[in-house]
Amino acid sequence: MEVELQEIRDFVALVPPFDLLPESELNLLVRKLGIRYIRRGKSLSEGGENTSSVFIIRQGSVSLYSEEDKLFGMLAEGDLSTAYCDEGGDEALDARATEDTLVYCISCDVLFDIVKKHPDAAAFLKDAPDRRLSDAVKSSQQKASQTATLMNTPLSDLISEELIDIDHESSIHDAAVKMTEHGVSSLLIMDSGNLSGILTDRDMRSRCLAIGLSADLPVNEIMTPDPVCVDSESLAFDALMMMTQKNIHHLPVIDGEKAIGIITATDLIRQEGKNSVHITRSIHRAESVESLTEISKLIPDLQLQIISTGGSAEHVGRAVTAVSSAITRRLIELAEKKYGPSPVPYAWIAAGSQARREQSSHSDQDNGLIISNEMKTEDEPWFSYLADFVCDGLDACGFVYCPGDAMAKNPQWRQTEKVWTRYYLGWINTPEPKSLMLSSIFFDIRVIAGNKKLLSNILQKVSTETKNNQLFLAHMTANALQHRTPLGFFRDFVLIDEGDHKNTLDLKHKGLVPIIDMARIYALAEGLEAVSTTERLEKAAGSPSLSKDGSANLLDAYELISRLRVEHQARQIRKGESADNFLSPKKLSRLERAHLKDAFKVVQTMQESLSQRYHAGHF
Amino acid sequence: MFDFLLSEDAKRRKLLAIAPEGPVKVFLSSPLIDRNQDVHAVSLLSLDFETSGLDPGKDHIVSAGYVDISRGEILLSTAMHDLVRPNKLLTENSVVIHKITDDDASAGKSLEQVISSLLQALAGKVMVAHNANIELAFLTQACRQLYGISPRFPVIDTMRIAKKWLERRNKEIEQGDLRLFNLRKRYGLPMYQAHNALTDAIATAELLQAQIAHMDSRKILPLKQFLK
Repeated sequence: MEVELQEIRDFVALVPPFDLLPESELNLLVRKLGIRYIRRGKSLSEGGENTSSVFIIRQGSVSLYSEEDKLFGMLAEGDLSTAYCDEGGDEALDARATEDTLVYCISCDVLFDIVKKHPDAAAFLKDAPDRRLSDAVKSSQQKASQTATLMNTPLSDLISEELIDIDHESSIHDAAVKMTEHGVSSLLIMDSGNLSGILTDRDMRSRCLAIGLSADLPVNEIMTPDPVCVDSESLAFDALMMMTQKNIHHLPVIDGEKAIGIITATDLIRQEGKNSVHITRSIHRAESVESLTEISKLIPDLQLQIISTGGSAEHVGRAVTAVSSAITRRLIELAEKKYGPSPVPYAWIAAGSQARREQSSHSDQDNGLIISNEMKTEDEPWFSYLADFVCDGLDACGFVYCPGDAMAKNPQWRQTEKVWTRYYLGWINTPEPKSLMLSSIFFDIRVIAGNKKLLSNILQKVSTETKNNQLFLAHMTANALQHRTPLGFFRDFVLIDEGDHKNTLDLKHKGLVPIIDMARIYALAEGLEAVSTTERLEKAAGSPSLSKDGSANLLDAYELISRLRVEHQARQIRKGESADNFLSPKKLSRLERAHLKDAFKVVQTMQESLSQRYHAGHF
Repeated sequence: MFDFLLSEDAKRRKLLAIAPEGPVKVFLSSPLIDRNQDVHAVSLLSLDFETSGLDPGKDHIVSAGYVDISRGEILLSTAMHDLVRPNKLLTENSVVIHKITDDDASAGKSLEQVISSLLQALAGKVMVAHNANIELAFLTQACRQLYGISPRFPVIDTMRIAKKWLERRNKEIEQGDLRLFNLRKRYGLPMYQAHNALTDAIATAELLQAQIAHMDSRKILPLKQFLK
């Protein structure tokens, strides 16, 4: 290898999938490269030795166009274009230089040879970035659902109950009482803080009752001493195997030297039982804010469980929102019990992520009250009590107060239908920064309890004002474009560079919020009633606002970023940390990083086309 | 023009008659290049010499780097980099510039081997160089020294193209403007860290592609417009 070609080789060596190649193969590969200079506006397919080539962008940038000449992707330095290298060959894609661009070209045949030798490269190259993105989302969901739950759930996720134990010198009678009290079938027996044995229902039967042993004897007479233990970091599957081999049904779980609980065969089998249906049922039965608070502690586990059983981020959002809405409704019922029935009809509305059904275990609350126009001044205190009771209750349950004060607790958001209508029309007609911020909260809205008609009356009037209202939509767009994806020109992530979250990516504000904002604009432009982001993107597909391709790409990007976020939060919850949105790219595999970049690129492209549509640059 | 072509052809035939067997004869036997054809269709070879100085009479070629350009594509499969084994010690100056020490160079080939390979690669192609006078003068000198005669080499000089381009736009040319590095920057071409004959040959080839791409793409660009 000519040392002189090293600079070119070193550049190529950083570009996936070539980064998977050993140096010897890279050296051979460089010898097969061509270099071309493409003038701005020209297609990569023009000229050159070989039209069926893959292109690596060395300098400049390239836009990808679909058959219908729709822009669907952009490539920059270090990106790979396989637009002219489709094995199927039926996709009519075009790649055009958006600025003067220097490319390295490799014949597709050379690439196919590499792919044959390196299956990893094949997986990476199968499609152009946007199509690749869609595959990544599908395969990660498949992988999760194929893997049995027990295979990937550590025991520490399953033993949530407190440790129930008894001293080895306590009587058999006392042990029986304790087991009955806690409704458990086994007890850990402790000797001055150390695990000395295990006692089960069966031991009671066979070693005590059946042979007429006195219940006053100490438990160490009938316990199984030095029981087989399992480490809390073991997988549920390992515990099951151990039980099957030794024909036992109870295993003490230890963390290092310390016993922390018992896992039973029934626990393992019933793993699926801890779902949102179960949780909402207990919410309906809760009689106090305190018991609701207790139940809400299960939400992080719920989130964990959905993810580890192969559920998507959307499933998490729906399940958590189902729980938060059930808590809200129960709080309203409890308030009505406390303060008496409401003087006039009203609607408790959720805004923001709860309205979109996209909450996670640490979402804050956005809500309000729409009250019938019949309300008199003397009715106001009742609503103020209701609002305080519910908002405070939600806060206690982990849905913390809205930092922007967009809550029913704030009198501004506890108003009659007439006032709310005036609010909306005001935001639409005088789109200033504050009203645009409020629009982005209150245009995602849903009735949680009460009279739905109050909201639909307002939305009817509002929808005729927003649909095709170019000026308002342009302002919304300009506002939405303030959230830019953290992708630098040199295809690297732009990380947060100071503070507590140094060197991380803010997945929520830099990844999800831009998509949520765009989906809202498409919905407003097309007069859609849909509130959830995925539903909005699905319903707007093929409308003048959003092409089918654009919709599919955004949906994939949304699912991918959401998934990375919930998985990140699941890791934090498992470690006992509180969940946040700040992910370090170092925690991702190279492939995941590439997919995340693809997702950000899709968002960038769609922001670009939205901005062009509404000339948002002019505001 | 036809007369000119004829005279060019006649000169070649005259040279061919006296050329010794070997690379220079092979080179002269290749078909004459049509100066009216579109530059995109011409096979080109981008060449750079590193030399021990600027005087072909006293100084010598230290290394040669070259690469083919075909239909607007630089083909790295053809990239060559040869070091020339020196007859005398390298002067300190060139060591500083090219970082080639006597040890490196002694691992190289003889001047005859290097020029012979180059002539074979160059047959039927137009040479491309930046500030081509240097390459032309040293190549001609080497041919005379080795074979007693030297062919005439059709040459595209990227520096001259740049100079004409700037002059036509009445741009004042400042010192350094015409250097390869600065011209590449003007066209948004990446920076190469290394400074050696092959990297410079590739850099020059890229520059030419950029220069051609920035000319009117609707017209045919005849080769003669580019020749020195």
